[in-house]
Amino acid sequence: MVEVERTRYSETSEREKMRAMIKARKEKEKTDDTEKPEVICPECESRSLEHDYERAELVCADCGLVVDAEFVDEGPEWRAFDHDQRMKRSRVGAPMTYTIHDKGLSTMIDWRNRDSYGKSISSKNRAQLYRLRKWQRRIRVSNATERNLAFALSELDRMASALGLPRTVRETAAVVYRKAVDKNLIRGRSIEGVAAAALYAACRQCSVPRTLDEIGEVSRVSRKEIGRTYRFISRELSLKLMPTSPIDYVPRFCSGLQLKGEVQSKSVEILRQASEKELTSGRGPTGVAAAAIYIASILCGDRRTQREVADVAGVTEVTIRNRYKELAEELDIEIIL
Amino acid sequence: MTGYNLKIENVVASTKLAESFDLTKIEIEFEGAEYNKQKFPGLVYRVSDPKAAFLVFTSGKVVCTGAKNVNDVHTVIKNMAKKLNSIGVETVPNPDITVQNIVASADLHAVLNLNAIAIGLGLENIEYEPEQFPGLVYRIDEPKVVVLIFSSGKLVVTGGKSPEDCEQGVEVVRQQLDSMGLL
Repeated sequence: MVEVERTRYSETSEREKMRAMIKARKEKEKTDDTEKPEVICPECESRSLEHDYERAELVCADCGLVVDAEFVDEGPEWRAFDHDQRMKRSRVGAPMTYTIHDKGLSTMIDWRNRDSYGKSISSKNRAQLYRLRKWQRRIRVSNATERNLAFALSELDRMASALGLPRTVRETAAVVYRKAVDKNLIRGRSIEGVAAAALYAACRQCSVPRTLDEIGEVSRVSRKEIGRTYRFISRELSLKLMPTSPIDYVPRFCSGLQLKGEVQSKSVEILRQASEKELTSGRGPTGVAAAAIYIASILCGDRRTQREVADVAGVTEVTIRNRYKELAEELDIEIIL
Repeated sequence: MTGYNLKIENVVASTKLAESFDLTKIEIEFEGAEYNKQKFPGLVYRVSDPKAAFLVFTSGKVVCTGAKNVNDVHTVIKNMAKKLNSIGVETVPNPDITVQNIVASADLHAVLNLNAIAIGLGLENIEYEPEQFPGLVYRIDEPKVVVLIFSSGKLVVTGGKSPEDCEQGVEVVRQQLDSMGLL
C-alpha cells in the first residue's frame, strides 16, 4: 500500500514538473512576442505585411487589413527641393556619441551672418549675434563636473588617436569613464589616470588588448598608476573582464614584425596547445605570445631575433628565452637554429 | 600543521607603552636606533632573538613587526618595555597588545590553472591580472583574509588577525578548489 502511495506521489510530482515547464515555455514565448514587432496579420495570419510609406500604413497584402497607421518613417528623406537636399537626404544630424560630453546633442549658432532666408544680417544686429554665439559656446559646458568630463573625454580621444584605436573602443572607453563618474570613483584620483584606465579596460572589452606600457606611453600617468586605477574601477564597476589571452596579441605583434599569416596561425596553434597544458597560467600574456611568435617564426623559416620580437612585444629577451624554453620542452617542439 | 606547510611569516602588533616618548633620548641611548623626523615620524629599532623591528612614536604607541609568531610578539614587547625602563623611561605595566595583521605562506602541492580558477571563483570575487602580477588575489569575507594564489600551488594568506584565520582561509580555498576539481 505504502509502495503504491509512493509511486503515485512521484507520478503527480512528475506531472507537476512537466506542467510547470510547459507554462514557463509559454510565458517565454509570450515575452518573445512582445519584444519583436508583429509580423503576422492578426486577421488572416498571413506573413506578407507591407509598409506603405506614402500613407504611413502597415497593410496586410492578403486581406487588406491596416495593421498599423501613421508610423514613423525611419528611411531617408524622400522629398527634396534643391540639389543640396537631394544629395543629403538626411533628416537628422550627426549620430549621438558618448565621446563628446553632451553626447553631441548641442546647438550651435552658425558662424555665417545670414538669417533663415539666406539674407545677410544687418550690421546693427551683428554685434548681438556675435554675443549670442559667444554665450552659446560658453553655455555648452555648464559646470565644473561637465568641464572635467569634457577634459577627460578629449584626453581619451587624444590617447585613442595616438594608439590608432577604432571608434567602438573610444565609445566603450567613454561609457566606462561615464560610469566611473556616476559612481563617484574619480574623487581622489587623477582624471588622466582614470581616463587611461578606462581606455585600457575598453581595449580589453573589445578584445583588442593594449599593454599597460603602450597606454602608459601615450598618457601622462605612469604604468603603475594606470594598473592600480584599472584594478580599482574594474572592481567597483564589476566589469568582469577575463584575463587577457596571449592569442589576442598575436596579430598585432606579427604585423609589427612584418611576419606572414602562416607564422601567425602557427603561433596561435602553439598558444592553444600551451593553454591546454596550463603553460600560460600565472605568466604574462605578452611574454608567452612573444615566445610563441619567436618559435613560429623559426619553424616557418622566417626567423626574427629575440631582440626584434622583444622590442615589438615590450618584454625583455630574458622573458622570451624563459617562456621559449618552457614551451619547447612541454610541447616537444624541436628547434634547429 | 595541516599538511599545507602553513607557516607564519610575519606578525604585526600594536600597543601603547606610555603617554609620550622622547624619541631623541631613546635614539641616543639605544644602539642602532634610527630616528629621522623628516623621513618618518617614528623611531625604528631592530632587535634580534627573537627577531623583530619596532616603530616607536612620540604618542607612546609602539608597533612591532617581523615577529614569527604571536608568543614572540609578547616576549619582544616585554623586553622592549624593560629596556626602556633601564634607561629611565616610564612604561605602562601591563600593555594591551593587539595583533593587527598576520602573513602566512602555504603550499597546496599542486600545479594550478589560474585561468580556470578565476572563472570558477567568479570574476567579481577575484583579481587576476597576469600582466601586472602573476598571482590571483582572492578576497574571502569569512574569515576576512586575502589569499594570493600562485600557479605553483603556493599560497600567501594576509590580513588575518589570528593564526586560526589563516588556517581557515587556506581551508576555504582548498575546499573551493577541490569542489571545482581543480586541485
